[in-house]
Formats: sequence, C-alpha cells, structure tokens
Amino acid sequence: MPDGQLLLEPPAPGEAITRLSGPARRHALRAKSGPVLSRGSIHSVERDGVVHLVSENYSYKSEAYYAILMQETQGRRVEPGTKAILDAFVVPVCLERARMDGIPVADYAISQSCIPAPAVIYGLNYFACTSHFEVLCDDESARELVRHVTNNGKYPFCSQRLEAGARIERAVSIFGNVSSTDPAMAGMAAGVWDSFCIPLVEIICIDGPCGLRLSSLCPVRYSRLTPAERDLLSAYLSGQVFL
Amino acid sequence: MSRLGIFVDRKTLSSAEQLNALIRCRDAAEEMGHGAEFIFPVDIRKIPQVDGLFIRARTDPMNITYVASRMAAFAGIPVIDDPDSIQVCSDKVHMYARLMREGVEVPRTLFLSFRDLTPARAREVFDELGSPLVVKEPSTSFSLRVEKVEAPGELLQVARRYFKLSDWVVVQEYVESTYDWRVGVLRGRFLYACKYIIPSQTFKIQDSVNGHVVYCGVESVPPQMVPPAVIDLGIRAGRAIGNGLYGVDIKEGPAGPCVIEVNDNPSLEGGEDTAYPHVYREIVHTLLEV
Repeated sequence: MPDGQLLLEPPAPGEAITRLSGPARRHALRAKSGPVLSRGSIHSVERDGVVHLVSENYSYKSEAYYAILMQETQGRRVEPGTKAILDAFVVPVCLERARMDGIPVADYAISQSCIPAPAVIYGLNYFACTSHFEVLCDDESARELVRHVTNNGKYPFCSQRLEAGARIERAVSIFGNVSSTDPAMAGMAAGVWDSFCIPLVEIICIDGPCGLRLSSLCPVRYSRLTPAERDLLSAYLSGQVFL
Repeated sequence: MSRLGIFVDRKTLSSAEQLNALIRCRDAAEEMGHGAEFIFPVDIRKIPQVDGLFIRARTDPMNITYVASRMAAFAGIPVIDDPDSIQVCSDKVHMYARLMREGVEVPRTLFLSFRDLTPARAREVFDELGSPLVVKEPSTSFSLRVEKVEAPGELLQVARRYFKLSDWVVVQEYVESTYDWRVGVLRGRFLYACKYIIPSQTFKIQDSVNGHVVYCGVESVPPQMVPPAVIDLGIRAGRAIGNGLYGVDIKEGPAGPCVIEVNDNPSLEGGEDTAYPHVYREIVHTLLEV
C-alpha cells in the first residue's frame, strides 16, 4: 500500500525580529505601512529558528491550526503550538495552565445546572467559543442563559463567580504587549505570552477585590483592532519591532 | 490499594451495553484490590484525588473529556486517554499526518484546504488517487461525516459541506473490504483483536440506510487466528500515536494491510474483548500498578 502524501503550504516567514523595548514600541506605533491584515490572512515572523504564526483565528481545525500542525509534523519549531492553542481556548484548561505558570486566575467551577448570579459562564462543548461568554446578572435571567449555554442542559459549562464590584476587563495582546496603560493588565499580557506564546489574543479578566484575574483567552478579528493595535502588529510583522 | 477514577458522562450511562462494560471495569479494579469510582463532569475537581483516570466518554479536544484528561496530566496522574492521544486521534488530519510521518501504511491520502479546492483541483485529486474516493471531515467518529464520492463534482459538494466544520478535509483512496480488523493496543503492546463485519448495505461500520441505522457485527478473534501482519501493523500504528490505549482499524487491501484509522477511547462494550477476558485487568494494571 503506497504511503500517503502531505500537502504542506506554511506561510513564508518574514524577517527576523527580537523583543520589544520602549523606544521600539513608540516606533511601532508610528508605523503606517506593513502587511495587509485582510480577513483570514495568516502571517509569520521568524526569530532564532522559531516561526511565530499570526492569525485572527487559531481555533481547532482552522487554517492556522493546520498550518501550525504541519510545521510541527515536520519537526519545525513553531509558536504557538497546537497544544497551547487547545489549552488556551478551553477555559478550565486555560486557567489551570495559567495558574501553574503563576498567573492570577479566576476561581471557577464546572456545572451542568443553574448557579447563583452574578457570574460569568462559558460553554464547554464542540461549538462553544470563548469569545461568547455570558454574564449572569440576576438569578431570574440566569436560568435562561444557562439553558442557552448548555443547550438545554446537554453540555456542562464553566462558571466564574463575580464578587461585588467586580468588572470584566478586556485587552488585546500583541506579542505580549497591550495598549492599556494599566500595569496589572500589562503584567497579565506578559504572563499570558510567556505561558501560551500566542501572538494575537484577547485577554478577558475579572477585575475585583483580589485584583486582576484571568477569566479566559479568545481570538481577535483583525477588523476589531484599533489603529494603534494594527500599527503595532504590522510593525512586528514587517520586522520594525523586535520580539 | 489505589483508587481508579472512571470518567463518564450522561451519554455513556444512557447505553445498557456501556453500563455493563463500566461495571466489568469497576469489578476488575476491585478484584485486583483497588477502589473504583465514577467521576462525572461536575466532579472534575476530584481528579487529583484518584491514582489513575480511565475516560469512558466520547473524547474530543473541544469537550469536557479533554478537560478531564488535561487536569489529570497537570496533576501527574496516569490517564487513558491522555491529552496527546485525544488531540491526535480526534483529528484525522493530525492522525494520518502522524501515521505517514512514522511510515505506517495507510491508503493514499491527501489533505485539502477550503482555499485550494477548485474544480480543477478536484479533477487532479481523482487523477492522483483514482475513483471512488472517500472524503472525511477530520472530527468524524462512528463513520459519521464519511462519504464515498465517484466524480469531481461530488467531491466538491461533499467537501464544501464539511468545510463548514473544518478548514481542511481528508481525501483517501477507497479500499474495499467486507470487514475491518480492530486491533487493541495498550502501551505499544497487543491487547485484543476483533473483526467488524461491515453491513452489506454500506461501506461503513455504522450507517443510516433508508432511515434505519445499521451497525456492524462484532466478532472477537483469538490471537492465533489473527494474521501476524495485521497485529504487527496495529502495534506499529499504536506506537506511532503514543503510549495509551488504541483501537486500530485495519483493512486488508490488494497491496496488503493498511490502517484506516486509530481510535483513542476504543469501544469495549460490543463484545470486542470476548476472547480476551483480561482486557480490563490490563488497563487497570497499566493505570494503577505500572
């Protein structure tokens, strides 16, 4: 029986880049030209023999996931790895991995029935995406939202309790950098980058009495980037900023 | 005495055959002097308290079984199926890429991206692999989302449907057979073998024919009656994936045996192990005593 054949078309790596520093960051924010961040496009940059693959959609069985998988199959060093991707976008696994890497994370539980509000809930099933979470504000609406997230109780969900006064904070991380001036969020982004090595990811946090805690990670569409974020990402991709 | 956790979900418990198989597993653990308890999705925090975890629910990186497996791995607890095996076996692109890289015989296989599949490319695929072809959505299990196509137009139609679920699909040459071998492999060693007799109305082990679901017959086969080449191929395929428990499906084609797929979490409730009464003891031993 003849062996099969692999079709391998990883994106061509860009120029080498190294770690971002303060002046480089300012330079990046001034960058006005770079690779076209069109819908679905996949970009890569290489540094010290590691290919960093940038995509707006790293989800399981996506084009980017398979581009990374094929590089891994060929024994090339690529970031993020497919395992990091799976870990990042399954909420309890993401939180456990982050916690083990020293990142403050939200307390969570896995449930299949109604839970008291206020809380944030994420579906745990084949069709769930971390960007589609629900915030349960009161017990009345909680029942309906839980039913929706669990597909009428068919699937479990991950819940995170919201303490009094807690808020949901979001930030886009680009190679571990955020446009936010909040040092806690900047530290969170750096920690997430060190743990998961995902160049483009949105960080969802719960900001409460215990400080900023990771709630989940989710993909980011290029179209949702602010002009400053687009410029920063473009600067990375064109080698104007260094990893 | 060690404690075995058996991870189940409500679907596992909805089948009488599965329930019987679970009870046999628990009995095997207790006969060996160990405790066994069932762990449900809401009990995932109990996983670090057991000494070994055996997952008996449909595995997928996007569902709760992956969470259970990963939690066990984080806690350093032996687990079947381990997260790597779930990742590889749940995705046929990943699985075939691994088997091909390791030189395991599989039918000629191509991976097609939604970006590449044009009418011209579909014709080329038929030129390369012949006709008919089998198209698979990568997350298929129990022969769902597997179809035989005989013309480029049909390939385009089926692939476009599957592209709603995955950016890549698998296309393979068709290997005809009336049965599949299933070789059970545990930690790289032969565990059991059986035949899945394919229903005459279909080419799959399970299919919907005229609105009725038809299932394959299962025939447990003693080791001395299994061709050595089939056992050898099964072991090589299992080792190519990892160090867990696998059910390797093999067809005997005109050019020799080839692997159709490697399943993590193989079924054991259909009589697969009738000729191998120690299968559960081996699994418990692997999880708690090695």
